[in-house]
Amino acid sequence: MTALDWVVIAGGLASIAIVNWYFFVAGRRRAR
Amino acid sequence: MSAAEATAPPAPAPARERIRIPVSGMTCAACQARVQRALAQQPGVSDASVNLMMETAAVTYDPGVATPEQLVSAIRDTGYGAELPGDALTPIEEQEARDRAQQAELRALSWRAAASGAAVVLAWAAAMLLPHAAATPYVLLALALAVMLGAGRHIYARALTALTHHSADMNTLVAAGTGAAFVYSLIATFAPRVFTDNGVAPDLYYESVIIIIALVLAGNVMESRAKRRTSGALRALADLQPSTARVVRGDAEVDVPVADVRAGDVLLVRPGERVPVDGEIVSGRSAVDESMLTGESMPVEKAAGDRVIGATINRTGAFRYRATTIGADSVLSRIVRLMRDAQSSRAPIQALADKVSGVFVPVVISLSIVSFVVWFVVAHAAGGTAGSAFVRAFAVAVTVLIIACPCAMGLAVPTAVMVATGRGAELGVLIKGGEALQRVGDVTTVVLDKTGTITEGSPAVTDVVVAPGSSRSGDELLALAASLESHSEHPLGEAIVRAAAGRSLARTAVESFESVTGRGATGVVDGVALAVGNAALMTEWSVSVSPLAERAGALATEGKTTVYVAANGALAGVIAIADPIRDSSRAAVARLHAMGLHVLMLTGDEPRTAERIAREAGVERVVAGVLPEGKLAEIARLQREGAVVAMVGDGINDAPALAQADVGMAMGTGAAIAAEAGDVVLMRSDLGAAAQAIALSRQTMRTMKQNLFWAFVYNVIGIPVAAGVLYPAFGILLTPVIASVAMAFSSFSVVTNSLRLKGARLS
Repeated sequence: MTALDWVVIAGGLASIAIVNWYFFVAGRRRAR
Repeated sequence: MSAAEATAPPAPAPARERIRIPVSGMTCAACQARVQRALAQQPGVSDASVNLMMETAAVTYDPGVATPEQLVSAIRDTGYGAELPGDALTPIEEQEARDRAQQAELRALSWRAAASGAAVVLAWAAAMLLPHAAATPYVLLALALAVMLGAGRHIYARALTALTHHSADMNTLVAAGTGAAFVYSLIATFAPRVFTDNGVAPDLYYESVIIIIALVLAGNVMESRAKRRTSGALRALADLQPSTARVVRGDAEVDVPVADVRAGDVLLVRPGERVPVDGEIVSGRSAVDESMLTGESMPVEKAAGDRVIGATINRTGAFRYRATTIGADSVLSRIVRLMRDAQSSRAPIQALADKVSGVFVPVVISLSIVSFVVWFVVAHAAGGTAGSAFVRAFAVAVTVLIIACPCAMGLAVPTAVMVATGRGAELGVLIKGGEALQRVGDVTTVVLDKTGTITEGSPAVTDVVVAPGSSRSGDELLALAASLESHSEHPLGEAIVRAAAGRSLARTAVESFESVTGRGATGVVDGVALAVGNAALMTEWSVSVSPLAERAGALATEGKTTVYVAANGALAGVIAIADPIRDSSRAAVARLHAMGLHVLMLTGDEPRTAERIAREAGVERVVAGVLPEGKLAEIARLQREGAVVAMVGDGINDAPALAQADVGMAMGTGAAIAAEAGDVVLMRSDLGAAAQAIALSRQTMRTMKQNLFWAFVYNVIGIPVAAGVLYPAFGILLTPVIASVAMAFSSFSVVTNSLRLKGARLS
């Protein structure tokens, strides 16, 4: 595993977190 | 408890009002779930049901807490269009307006699909004929831009609207997939060195973008067409309404639009014409074909005083009639409203699909990112350059986005509900919604009322027996009795009059008439002193019934009511009257048995009559002599034993039993069609309709389960395959274009499967 691989994995995890936060957490908070 | 508490009145139950709000801009199950959630979270809202296909939100709310304006603004806050419903339109006009809008949308969609199809051909020609020309990438770029901003513009616009509202649907997946492919190609076109410096060929995905959008549009057209067909029954009903009516004004007959007819107007209908509105015949007689509303194939005889229903066809004679109910209160309007509400209701089986659709898109985007990361790391570790690993991972991630299809899940249940309720209406069976449909399918025991359900519901003469030694024939005896009874209003008397009329027997003048309460009637007819009534009346008249006692006893054993006739002080004969079973009842009961259902008869009638009827109809169990509360208790007992009970009865007398049963089937004809009682209204006076309703529901449940199964399995299989799980073992990897074909196919196949209910065999 190279440093680039770790960057891609970290980037992927961050993107997943952002997507789920945006649709589930932020969306619900706004609906209230 | 304090005194104040003891005397405080119970808190009043909150008032409930129901409103249907037209919602625009919803494209997928996720949109629907979002609007529904927003409405359900509003204070004062007890129930919200949003229907994607009808584009409406049906909301039950407490008017003291919420207002219609607040509900509309709650929908608008989610990013979709909503407006207060106009109350000036009748259900039929509303249906016509929706139909026009649907047609316009289909036409626009067809044009877009055709234009994107043309772009596919041009792109293919450019790529094939001039693969290495310097201008080719720019031609493809121009075509892709034209398709994205032209024909497919609404996909991106809707995805963006949804995104700004923290929502996502199928458009989001398509927009993200094609958008990513487009940006990638753009870099490859204008900065190819980014790729070549990493040892990767600067591949272009413009063609994929064009083909994917063309396929999505073609899928939308097919889906929109199929959806239009699912609401065909409702459209057909609304089309039954004639546009003009011939109103009698003084001596003149004036053609006026139906909307201008007022209650009380006298209208003229000629043979072959449609009856414009509901009313009551003033003069003339005819046979009227009511099959379009009741499914009853035989025309019904109508004369002065009889009710006619708007939209039925006048067959034989001309008649004048007075308009009674018009506009939104007419029978046709009520049926259209009932069906529309049924079609926009939700079946409980949909709950799972709703839950999945709500979280589907974010989960798919996450899976797409996971696929990208895994493919990148694996391809990189396998010795590929960072660039080539990126290209491969990118293609897989786009394919995952494109193949996932929440639409199939959203369409699985509502399309089946729509087709099934429409098919039911064609058969004269109105099923009030998805929940009722689902419960009807689960029925294990069918409880039948006797009078009016198994039997005709009105007494009829079955036997005329002449006393030994009497010189009169049976017909003469019946004619005499009918002449006297023509002055009576007793149901048995009316049966005798009807029987004489049925045999075309002439009635003679009645010189005197006296009704003897509880016994019968006496009088003088054509110089003959007559007594028509029960044995008590005969005893009062000192007439011996012994010559016919044995025969009368036998008739009574068969459950028939006997009416003696005495002429000039001597016994002339006996007339037997019974409520005959309908011709169709026996076959219908056999059908219910064949479907594995227990059939039970509940009646307030005395046991002897009840048992005879049950025997004739083939019913296995009878509970006779029960009062309405007794019927309720018997149904409750069956339910405690684990039976799912359907009660078939007439909507007015049996209302409590219909409500207690798991499924209430109200049997009604004509004006009773739109009866409020019952989950199912049988518009035909034929028990066979109940069997058809159960068969239809069972078939519909099967269709729904198949649809849900395929929609889920499609995604459960499609997404991992797109992500490349089969690649290590079999070398199978999908392309974005194949994914878009599969996606379009999945929703189309679900709708087509539901449409099969239109032709399902139910008898």
